[in-house]
Amino acid sequence: MCCLRQLFLVSLGVTAWALHESDVGMVDWNTKLIGVPHDSPHTAPVFHGDYVLAATNNNVLAALNATDGSIVWRSIYDAEDPIMAFSHHDNSVSSLSGPGGSTLRTYDLETGHLILEKQLHSPVDGRLHEPQNLGISLLRSTNPSLNSTAYLALTNGDSVTHLDETGDTLWTWNSPDQGSLVLYSHLIADPSTVYLVGLAKSFASYTLHVTTLSATTGELIASVNIPANIKDERSKFVAVSSQTGPTTTTCVNWLEDGALKAAVLTPDLKGQVMALPGVKYDRISDFGLSTNGQFLAIKEGGAAHVMHFDAQAYSLRPIWEFGDAAPSQVQSDSHFVGSLGRDGQPRVARVYWSNAHNKAIHQTLTINLSEGKASASGFAFPFQTFDHGVVRHVAFDGSSTGETHENTRTLLTTTTGSIQLWQHDKMQWVREEALASIQVAEFVELPEKKVVMSHAVMDEEGYFERLQRQLSDAKNLPQYLANFARRFATGSYATVTTSAASSSAEDTLTRDAFGFRQIIVAATPYGKLFGIDSSNGRVLWSRVLGLGWAAKVGGTIFPTKMFVTRTVSDLEGPQIVLVTQRRADNSLVDTVLFHVNALTGDDVREEHQSIPRDLLQGLDAVMGPLVDVFMLPNENRTIVMLDEYLQARLYPDTPSAQAEFESFVPSIHLALRTDVPGQRQILGHQLTLNLELSQFYVAYPTWSLSLPPKEEIRAIIPNTRGPVASIGKVLGNRMTLYKYLNPHLTLVLTSSPPSSTCGIYVLDVVKGSIIYHASVPAAGGVCDMQATLTENWLVYHYFDDEFSGTGESKGNRVVSVEFYEGDGPDDKTKSSELSSYSNKTLHISAYEQSFIMPHGITAISPTLTKFGVSMKDIIVANRKNSIQSIPRRLLNPRRPKHKPTSEEQEEMLVQYDAVLPDDARLVLSHNYEVANVRRIVTSPSLLESTSLVFVYGLDLFFTRIAPSGTFDVLSENFNKVQLVLTVAGLGIAIMVTKPMVRRKWLRERWY
Amino acid sequence: MANCFNLEYASLDHSKWRNLPPPPGFSSFAPNSKAPAKAQTAAATSSYASLKDKRAWDLAISPAKSLPMQAFMLYMSGGGVQIFSMGIVFMLLLSPFKNIAGMNAAFAPFAPTTANVKSLKVLPLQKIAYIACNLLTLAVGLWKCRSMGLLPTGTGDWLAFESRAMAPELSLQ
Repeated sequence: MCCLRQLFLVSLGVTAWALHESDVGMVDWNTKLIGVPHDSPHTAPVFHGDYVLAATNNNVLAALNATDGSIVWRSIYDAEDPIMAFSHHDNSVSSLSGPGGSTLRTYDLETGHLILEKQLHSPVDGRLHEPQNLGISLLRSTNPSLNSTAYLALTNGDSVTHLDETGDTLWTWNSPDQGSLVLYSHLIADPSTVYLVGLAKSFASYTLHVTTLSATTGELIASVNIPANIKDERSKFVAVSSQTGPTTTTCVNWLEDGALKAAVLTPDLKGQVMALPGVKYDRISDFGLSTNGQFLAIKEGGAAHVMHFDAQAYSLRPIWEFGDAAPSQVQSDSHFVGSLGRDGQPRVARVYWSNAHNKAIHQTLTINLSEGKASASGFAFPFQTFDHGVVRHVAFDGSSTGETHENTRTLLTTTTGSIQLWQHDKMQWVREEALASIQVAEFVELPEKKVVMSHAVMDEEGYFERLQRQLSDAKNLPQYLANFARRFATGSYATVTTSAASSSAEDTLTRDAFGFRQIIVAATPYGKLFGIDSSNGRVLWSRVLGLGWAAKVGGTIFPTKMFVTRTVSDLEGPQIVLVTQRRADNSLVDTVLFHVNALTGDDVREEHQSIPRDLLQGLDAVMGPLVDVFMLPNENRTIVMLDEYLQARLYPDTPSAQAEFESFVPSIHLALRTDVPGQRQILGHQLTLNLELSQFYVAYPTWSLSLPPKEEIRAIIPNTRGPVASIGKVLGNRMTLYKYLNPHLTLVLTSSPPSSTCGIYVLDVVKGSIIYHASVPAAGGVCDMQATLTENWLVYHYFDDEFSGTGESKGNRVVSVEFYEGDGPDDKTKSSELSSYSNKTLHISAYEQSFIMPHGITAISPTLTKFGVSMKDIIVANRKNSIQSIPRRLLNPRRPKHKPTSEEQEEMLVQYDAVLPDDARLVLSHNYEVANVRRIVTSPSLLESTSLVFVYGLDLFFTRIAPSGTFDVLSENFNKVQLVLTVAGLGIAIMVTKPMVRRKWLRERWY
Repeated sequence: MANCFNLEYASLDHSKWRNLPPPPGFSSFAPNSKAPAKAQTAAATSSYASLKDKRAWDLAISPAKSLPMQAFMLYMSGGGVQIFSMGIVFMLLLSPFKNIAGMNAAFAPFAPTTANVKSLKVLPLQKIAYIACNLLTLAVGLWKCRSMGLLPTGTGDWLAFESRAMAPELSLQ
């Protein structure tokens, strides 16, 4: 019975909308991303055959197809399980993740199937080091006798675990003085011995500590302190090993006052420290050939030496010098990366940017160790630095090199977050992985297709000239007529289920019939701004944000907010203003504005566009950080920025904007949060001008929210503002519940660690009065509430882990609350025009109901339509990695607990059921995986029934939804042909019968 | 008794048949039997007047008489807004107005005097009763409308006409 009722409920809910299979790919698109790859040694991208393996900032381990750049597979790790190291071996990829490297996982290289998962230690035992993955290392060693591979994992900087192929622990070794001054960071294995090398802290400097273990039993063989005097923690040391026949010889190299020293390791750790005299080095680094005996040493002048450790001769010497590697005016710093060629000989690639050529230079060093010879050759490739920033990491496929450079493959990771694969001087593919970390995104409407007049009307135009012009203007008329006839006869109009992408060859940026095609402008923290076509997800334009004066010292630009200051209805065309915080590497923070034409990405402030396009330079609007930024609802859409002294700064700062702003000032009320750790509070502010203090209007506090001690503001979520079609809800008995439409409502989420609760407040930001407050349990001490407020409707989600008795259970809860004016029906206080200082603002009644949700959610948003007439559904991104809509009908807080009476039935209320159905028909994202969603942006289309939905997180997803059904377009199975034929048939019938009838009448007159 | 049912065409003063020419081949002839007696004529006239009066009353309350039938039809047509119930309701709502508009013409044949038959002052009592009965029909129709939810009586029916001004304060978010 219960099942039946649920089925009925759902069918009620989804009659309006269920995704048809034929619509997939037409109304929606999905971009799978992996994120920007790490560039630290253990997790940087590497080539493995025709695969590129990468661990990314979004905590994804992925294998890309090196030929076309598609994702072969990806594995998404939890936020609390960061990838620390990964290694590849034959046809499997293994990773260590979690605090201290707590979990070992192995994936199949081709399919990404998880082969092995093993916890090496409990995540709570993980120790944090700086950098995070220090002291964590993973080795795959082949045991030729058993014909199997084994794992050697160094975790936490002090324990080594040896596992066989199936994940069974062979032995574990823990440092006897755990947590002591010795922190092992390098793990080298040969068939008989395992070497552990680490830094030990001593007075004023670091020394090296080496421990050797038996590879078969894990027993300690020796543990020795090498008297090294490493002052500089940055350069550290390099451990290289070189294989000669069956034996592996390991050598540890470090710098001591600029002199390179080395110690060859033997199992019993009896050896001498050698020194390379004469040459002073600045730093040494491992560049990928440490298992082959090579490393890189940079001289003080900037020249780079490729050092080689010869295991047979026990000698360490430079085999090649890159003399001009120092960064200078003409060239950038060089990236060195080593890899083994197909012949087993080492290859070194050096990539740098040359200002002289305005191109990137790739140099390949081919080393022939047996002959003791090396040769370098190079080529330039056209790296687009204005589109992709600066190269941050280079991965090099040594096996692709040959006699010529034709096939040399290099994988570049750039500062703008793109991954590019270059084969020789041609870019094979590029992935814009910055899109996996979009910070702010907005929809911008496209203009209508304009009929362009062939030329302006001239004053003196002869008759023939005019005739000629008009004829040429009419050249499209036959085509138009043919199209019209075809449309009329067959009824092939634009329908709501067809793709909104422009089908014509010349791809002008114009909207489709229903306004489904819009531009999504998205800003990423990698300093790049994207314009994305909402009809197919293609990047239409992208701009790299310039650093301004901070380019000299370096810095990052972090987008804060984006405003659409002009729309298509304005003369200037759609424009956006991106407000960012620029953090220069010298720790100065500035507020920088970027004002961009949303259709082309052109800088609005710049008169003449340079071609090819330069970096997008911003306006340093405020010297210093920003507290908050708002947009005035005036004609100019002036942007008001509050700097750290709470001075209101305007953009654009014109006299008219200033005058408009001044007219608004007396009524402006703001709610600002104070970000003092430990007492994050929310304060109401108003603006005043005091010329003695400042030439700007300054915000002064008017109220503060008195929260219980230790309760902190976690998030402030503004009311989702959209047009309100109806100010009340009409009941079945024709009375009206007037909606509480206070325009000043804001959601505030708090957390209170002492009581282990999370709070949700609905505030009136003018007066600071609390309209609604609820306290929910914090599951595991973490507040992970998601909430949205639209009109008078509040929906929030939390995980309830408290249960007091039988019949209760922990689970995901969704609470739906509605606020109405007064005490009940027909009691109105006119809340939307009421002053917040009126006593009547608090005279409300709230209806609330709580539901059980089958899955946790990560983002929540209501749909938004042009006039607000359509029902509002709630769209959520759940932890199953899918996007789902919850019909308003199911979330109605006035659902009766009993069988609905006829009056309630008239209101379309259905009986309350605690469980929200987990129905596949409510899923909007088909079978796509839309992972780690951070935000859902909704936007109205030109059709009142349809709302556009853009979802971003790790992946991008776009679809459109009609919560009340597409009531404003003709149904697609409407038979236009039949209608036309019927009308035509009737017309013919009239024509035929009219003379007959006339003749009959005449005859009747006579007879 | 049979006398009561004599058809007295002669009394139909305004009958258009009276002035019709005789058909061809027929000559006009006066009834050879003269009016029997003056007293008899007077009695006939008075009975005729009372008859008209009675008929006028019949007409006045005829809308009320059809009410039970209409109520039954309403009951049978159900509470939904459908073509049949709507037809009946429209009939109920329109017929009183139509009847009242055509009231003077309807009562004209029963006017006691020949002069000014269409005046409102003729047969006032009957006409008042007629109006009242029609109003009764109208009331039934309205009651039906109300029960079908077609009367704008609740605040919800006027919600679309309510408007709200802007709030005096401006909160930026």
